[in-house]
Amino acid sequence: MTAEVFPIMRIGDTLLISLQGELDDATVLRIEDRLANEVARTGATGTLIDVSGLTIVDSFIARVLTRVVGMIRLLGSHAVIVGIQPAVAITLVELGVPMGHLHTALNAEQGMALLRRLRDHGDRAD
Amino acid sequence: MTASPVGERDPGTRLRELEAMLDAIAGYALIKLDLDGAVADWSRGAERLLGHPAGEIVGRPFATFYTEEDAAAGLPASDLAAARETGRAETEGWRVRKDGERFRAATVIALIHDDDGTATGYAAAIRDVTESRRAEAMFRGLLESAPDAVVIVESDGRIMLVNRQTELMFGYDRDELIGQPVEVLVPERFRARHGAYRGGFIASPQTRPMGTGLELYGRRRDGSEFPVEISLGPLESDRGTLVSAAIRDITERREQELRLQRQRDEILELSTPVIQVWDKVLALPIIGTLDSLRAARLTESLLEKIAENQAEVIILDISGVPTIDTQVAQHLLKTVQAATLMGAASILSGVRPETAQAMVHLGIDIGRLRSRNKLRDALQLALRIVADRAGSSQEAARTVMGEWPA
Repeated sequence: MTAEVFPIMRIGDTLLISLQGELDDATVLRIEDRLANEVARTGATGTLIDVSGLTIVDSFIARVLTRVVGMIRLLGSHAVIVGIQPAVAITLVELGVPMGHLHTALNAEQGMALLRRLRDHGDRAD
Repeated sequence: MTASPVGERDPGTRLRELEAMLDAIAGYALIKLDLDGAVADWSRGAERLLGHPAGEIVGRPFATFYTEEDAAAGLPASDLAAARETGRAETEGWRVRKDGERFRAATVIALIHDDDGTATGYAAAIRDVTESRRAEAMFRGLLESAPDAVVIVESDGRIMLVNRQTELMFGYDRDELIGQPVEVLVPERFRARHGAYRGGFIASPQTRPMGTGLELYGRRRDGSEFPVEISLGPLESDRGTLVSAAIRDITERREQELRLQRQRDEILELSTPVIQVWDKVLALPIIGTLDSLRAARLTESLLEKIAENQAEVIILDISGVPTIDTQVAQHLLKTVQAATLMGAASILSGVRPETAQAMVHLGIDIGRLRSRNKLRDALQLALRIVADRAGSSQEAARTVMGEWPA
């Protein structure tokens, strides 16, 4: 299988990465590595993680998302997950995955707005 | 046999023994006819079966035992002619006893020759088969009148017998099916598997439904398929273990189930209406008791509407819910969590004083969920949240566009 490429786009001081298909351990590690380096290199203040293209979201993916968000925060940037589909949201709630601390938005536009609020008000905004 | 070799005995004794043997054969009427078809000799069995004493019947025509219609149609003569032509004729038909009672008889007529090959007469053996024919007719009748298609399959998988229903259900004539592998009635994609399952049934034959838990399909002659339910049963016979399969077309039942399911869905749909009250604001008035099924359905339709309308705020109005217990509260909180994951803010509305008390006493933690007493207040709050978000959205857009290289 060829390694999937997840392009990281930069819009102003925001990074956008779109996760698609199925994620395996190796791919996740590669994404974490590149994303951490990009956030550090560009000094982006916010990162949008688009998950609308993920075919499967289980507790593994949920842990991955939590990890990626934690990593981005440690680098001093804000992270917003966008595009969680209805079925995915139900699955995550039913699995009981603690995701309350994550910032989420419906789409990229609303995600950008949320990042803006996060930058202005710190972590108290939602 | 312990008797001494036949040749050692006096021919007279032998003849008497033979005669005794013939008379001892019960259930058969043995009749000797001359070449003209008149009775020449008459066994005890014939007397028992047909009722005529030997003294009365000798010299009477063979047609005496036929029904009037058959006699008029010349059947006795043609039966004898057939025997004369080929040496032996087997027929089955109605015969008449002395008292006029009719019975179903199987008759074998053989031509008798003397030592130099000249035909001297006929030997006829008549057997009463009324009972076995009746049993057979009963079996056929049962088979044909069965509401299900019945297919009887030999242990090698070939079709031995089918009933009328099978012809109607599958669109084959029975002649086309007899001798064919039973798999012709199975859709192509299941055929290989069916062969293996068939072996399994022969290995441990017992009456049971086929493919428990599976959706079974039959294949018509024209290739179309229909859902079926099949019961299997073993039939021990002289040809080994046969398998009888009763096949029922359940198309109608399946449709009815679907219709019921649709109705149930519609009722659930009606009981969980999601209303768009404002741009990007959805309201969900919950009325009545909230059980797990309804709660799941509610969450589902709400989340779908969020995605569809790109809603940013949802109002859950619980003024129509009679009691909030732990379970209902859990359902509500799960819905809120799922909506939050999608990026929509939730507002609870319609919390009555007693509900608030109950929830606090139950120790239900609503977390950061906003709550308003009246729907009007909840809507106001919703609009403010949307406005705030829109403001920051515009700001965000300005920031981005401003930094975009001109």
